[in-house]
Amino acid sequence: MAAVPDDPRAEQVFFDDPAVDLLMGVVMALASETYVLRDRLNVLERQLAATGRVDTAKLVEAPDSKAEAADYKDAAEFTRAILEPLLGLQKSLGIGGKFSLNRGGSSK
Amino acid sequence: MTTERAFDAGQRFLLTSKVYWTTTLYPRLRDKYLEAAGGKEKQHTVEQVAAIVENMTLYRYFAWLERHLQRMKYSGRYGIANYYEEHRDQLLSDLGSPSGNDERLDLRPDLEMPQYYKSVDIHQHPGGVWSRDEAGLVYEYGARSTTPMLGTGHADLHTRFSDLVASQIDAKPARILDLGCGFGKSTLPFVTKFSDAKVEAVDLAGPCLRVGAQTAQSAKVDNVTFRQRNASETGFEDNQFGLVTSTMFLHELPTKVLKDVLQEAYRVLEPGGTMAHLDFYAFPDAFARFMHYGHGRRNNEPFMQPLAELDLPKVLKEAGFTAIQISPFQESETIGPERVDVWRLPWTVISAKKPKQPIQPKRARARELNHA
Repeated sequence: MAAVPDDPRAEQVFFDDPAVDLLMGVVMALASETYVLRDRLNVLERQLAATGRVDTAKLVEAPDSKAEAADYKDAAEFTRAILEPLLGLQKSLGIGGKFSLNRGGSSK
Repeated sequence: MTTERAFDAGQRFLLTSKVYWTTTLYPRLRDKYLEAAGGKEKQHTVEQVAAIVENMTLYRYFAWLERHLQRMKYSGRYGIANYYEEHRDQLLSDLGSPSGNDERLDLRPDLEMPQYYKSVDIHQHPGGVWSRDEAGLVYEYGARSTTPMLGTGHADLHTRFSDLVASQIDAKPARILDLGCGFGKSTLPFVTKFSDAKVEAVDLAGPCLRVGAQTAQSAKVDNVTFRQRNASETGFEDNQFGLVTSTMFLHELPTKVLKDVLQEAYRVLEPGGTMAHLDFYAFPDAFARFMHYGHGRRNNEPFMQPLAELDLPKVLKEAGFTAIQISPFQESETIGPERVDVWRLPWTVISAKKPKQPIQPKRARARELNHA
């Protein structure tokens, strides 16, 4: 990665809660990665089809029932992994809630 | 190491995102504003537009994307700055020697960069367009997608401008000066259109000038020299040029420097000579103006708003110019000032003449008095 400035300045903020700004950054970085992967897959498919190693019709047709069940299971696992953080539940036993050492609410 | 394929794909994703932003999010936002304005939009000021639009969730996302698609374009994992840094040695070797032994190139590595120029990385280009050897190549790549609506026809914009200027001047200039020429994209259409003229192209950024000289060499044109000079102090003799021009340059200057540059243009122009700039100044409405001010802030171009708010006819008149004309500019066959339904820069041609019998400009006179 290219060097960042020696003394980086705080980024501009567009949302009432800056957490949304940061989260958008993660979402767009993921979207970018997904597209780069998709592009690589397209190249791979074209090369395999050109050498007769893949039947391109099979790549686009609807799956049969057995494959569909396996695909569904795969999709469900993929989705669970992505959305599970929204539940906000711990994976191991520990202290919960918002953490602060500022017990009195004073900034001093 | 990022592969060329992954870099292309990453940039393609960003470009298509920018096109969606330009052609879908922008008109949707404009429609929502017009709906909220309830027919009073023609009386609105920028502040009144802001009061309506800035609270819209869609605007927050629009603004975020404008800021961060540009950040990702330069500094993201598939960003231009990263990719060019990774491939720096090969790219610079292809570009040739930095010593400036080509007659088309006159570098001055000891030229001091102004503070305003160093304090902000323009266009969110890390390190600016001047500080790293590969910066000219990075800028050249980045400029290809500055105006996504123009697609691959972006270069056509410069040809259209040079055609317009050629149609408006009385006599073919023997010498032409292009101020803030960058990597020469604005210069070369003038070089080829006025092939009998000697063209001087000046910029602060040495890495950009190297790319300009290399491009001129590849195009086999030798009536141009790219010189590392400050546009407000070019070092040329008085009354040398029949035409002084710039493209997308004035909005990069603090107002004081802009006035100095105009004064310098006046000084080096021959009596009766023409000055013509392509920049951003004429707006169809307050909504477009509001969007432009935000663009300046989000794209690290802090002097866009000051230029847009400046009384330019007055400034030009004070600098001694006559025949002042400020007109909206159509940047392509299909996109122009009438297209308020897509995001576009407010392209404007600003032209004027130095009188055949020049008067001493007010600013120069004031300076002399101050130094007396």
